[in-house]
Amino acid sequence: MHMEFSYLDFYSIISLIFFSTSFVKNFDQKKENIFFNDDYEHYPNTWDEMFKNDGKVRRSYKFLEKFLNNSSFDSIKEKQDFSDQFFMNQGITFTVYDNDQGVERIFPFDILPRIIRPNEWDTIEKGIVQRVKALNLFLKDIYNEQYILKDQIFPSRLLLTNPYFLTQMKGLKTPLDVYTHVSGVDLIRNNDGKFYVLEDNLRTPSGVCYMLENREVSRKLFPSIFPKQNVSSVSSYPQVLYNQLSSLVNKTKPTIVLLTPGSFNSAYYEHTTLARLMGVELVEGKDLVVDDNFVFMKTATGLQKVDVIYKRIDDEFLDPLVFNNQSYLGIAGIMNVYRSGNVVLANAPGAGIADDKASYVYVPEMIKYYLNEKPILDNITTYQLGKPDELDYVLKNINKMVIKKTDGSGGYGMLMGSNSTDEEIDNYIKQIKKNPTNFIAQPTLNLSTTPCIIDETLSPRCVDLRPFAIFGGEGIKVCPGGLSRVALKKGSLVVNSSQGGGSKDTWVLEKNQNVK
Amino acid sequence: MLSRVANNLFWMDRYMERSFGLLNLINTNYNSALETGDYSSWIHILNKYLNISKNFTTPDNYDDTISIIDYILFDDTNPNTLLNIISYSRENARNVQEHISRDIWLSTNKYYLYISKKANRSKFKKSNPIKFLDELKEFNLIYLSSAYVSQERGSAYCFMNLGKYLERTIFSIDILNFKILELSENNQSLVESLFLKNLIFLMGGYQLYVKTYKSIFNIENIIEMIIINEFFPRSVKYNLNRITQNIIELDQYNQIIGENELVYNAKKLQNTLTYTTINSIKEIGLNSFLFELKNDLNNLSQLINQRYFSQL
Repeated sequence: MHMEFSYLDFYSIISLIFFSTSFVKNFDQKKENIFFNDDYEHYPNTWDEMFKNDGKVRRSYKFLEKFLNNSSFDSIKEKQDFSDQFFMNQGITFTVYDNDQGVERIFPFDILPRIIRPNEWDTIEKGIVQRVKALNLFLKDIYNEQYILKDQIFPSRLLLTNPYFLTQMKGLKTPLDVYTHVSGVDLIRNNDGKFYVLEDNLRTPSGVCYMLENREVSRKLFPSIFPKQNVSSVSSYPQVLYNQLSSLVNKTKPTIVLLTPGSFNSAYYEHTTLARLMGVELVEGKDLVVDDNFVFMKTATGLQKVDVIYKRIDDEFLDPLVFNNQSYLGIAGIMNVYRSGNVVLANAPGAGIADDKASYVYVPEMIKYYLNEKPILDNITTYQLGKPDELDYVLKNINKMVIKKTDGSGGYGMLMGSNSTDEEIDNYIKQIKKNPTNFIAQPTLNLSTTPCIIDETLSPRCVDLRPFAIFGGEGIKVCPGGLSRVALKKGSLVVNSSQGGGSKDTWVLEKNQNVK
Repeated sequence: MLSRVANNLFWMDRYMERSFGLLNLINTNYNSALETGDYSSWIHILNKYLNISKNFTTPDNYDDTISIIDYILFDDTNPNTLLNIISYSRENARNVQEHISRDIWLSTNKYYLYISKKANRSKFKKSNPIKFLDELKEFNLIYLSSAYVSQERGSAYCFMNLGKYLERTIFSIDILNFKILELSENNQSLVESLFLKNLIFLMGGYQLYVKTYKSIFNIENIIEMIIINEFFPRSVKYNLNRITQNIIELDQYNQIIGENELVYNAKKLQNTLTYTTINSIKEIGLNSFLFELKNDLNNLSQLINQRYFSQL
């Protein structure tokens, strides 16, 4: 594994430090087209999704090269404007506040698609199915027999100290033994061209509506080239989700609802979209009530029993009688109903223990333990500072490391060795030495780049990929696509919407297709 | 359907209808002030519809008119301005996207984006106000037609209609009350027929009025048309018929059998209007009649609340 100057945060934030002096110009031949000139600043020692190191375009992107060769700036600008307006009109926005004035912004969308070849997708799909299966078995085990603890594969101390481990789930069998109904697995491509797992999202993974809407706008933007590329469809995601949720109860027409924290949640648009496309009610906690150990929704004509709740609120806020007693978002008494088997919750409460960053380190061993298989998708090398030899190695190489607290998230409480002062490093080391088991470290990585249209030219930007898997009665279904998030700014960059990130449509090409 | 959703649908349409009424009011008053040169009528509008009595000195010229319209359209601190009314309608729509057609959502969202865009406020100040108001009115018309052609028929549509027709009825009663009051204050200085003509323009019933009563603008004819003409889509009678129809349809969609207090009261009010004539209104007195009517409507509104939104 190469240790370069980019950094990945574990919790959906990718932050990259680029040294401006290290950009190299990689094109040998100056091309006449405005988009294909020698200004493309290929990042050193980095995999680019479209261009090889010699500057030639990869085969799967040839159609895009042809398209750009035949396009003027004005026509591309027109398409970009169209997509911006599309997202704005649809209300696919989030609100930022400036001097107490709420201004609606869209999550920036780069019109050029990111391409995944069939063989690449084959590996990703199999790898995700394998990983989700193992994580689900882990959850079933950890809340019941706990064989993995007894066999000392997973350390007991990680359970005791982990807030995501819910004792209320102990001894509870979930319908079809499924805990991880919806998963979003964050992948990055390293400079060896292979995909690696950055993190697992098993609680309330979001972003799927961007996947759906990005495709919607792509179809409008590229009517002449989209149909020829045999791009796998993502449009059936809501139906698959509905079917998988339905399969969890033995009822012909179950009442399924989507539980949202409300319209102020940043993912609210996604909640409304999914509810609309699945044809289910979008409910808030105040719309539900527990009576006689069942959950009911308050309809205009009385109470109606609810069978399945696809919850998009954090466990902490689910039931004020059991978890956070200050929560107004949840439903008092719902955990009792759940434990009685009178309602299904997806994802299962307590799934967070499996996507915690301390648990992440053990996923390859879970795969081996539960499935007796070798991981198809590898983890990023991760050092546990509770282990003296690994702590020693990390401290000696701290300038090439990113160190994080195991209970941290959102990019807070971490140290980027390459970008910190000696004083910051010394202070952080003091924290580590107080309780090394609370820290992990990862070498800085090179994220792959993808060309984006920035300032009227093609420019590389780092990209990750979040595919979505749905687990239910029909097994684990991975939607052939996902959300490709790009860091749109140079320098220290993040991909999340509030901090300058954007997205691209992800085209997974189908097998046996002829690239035209 | 969730109680909360039913309530959101009801208010989505109420606010949208309110915005339409407000635009008509601005438009008519603008024209009326230009014709008469009397700009003081804006004060009544600010008092009655924007709930403010200060901040504006008595307008006496065209520039004051533009400032007042700018305030009515764009002020973000007053809950009764067009910007805020559309924002409330849109927020209600945002909460019920799985129950409304895409076309309704898009028309509401585009309206909100247009009215909240700062550049459009500048555009208003530079352009002909009537042209700008017409542009805004087009958003209302697109909303109304989107709802009519794209919204599935069912409970959601009924709740939207209840909101719309209830708001429209109240607007008609209020405008009648308000304008007749204004007339009694200004009858010495105004040419009565011009005033009444503007009133019927405001209600969007000029063509029907001329067809029905030819060009004889008198107060009795106008009251008759606004209250008991069953072909005028802004008359109290027409809208009460629609309210009753939607209340009955809601029961049918929800398979509720038998009469109930809400249906009973709606039909009772409908019958009252059926047997009301201009002479009976004159006997009671317009103010008393409108007062009673508004009370009955409030009662009906409370019954709708109790029946469908009480789970909130």
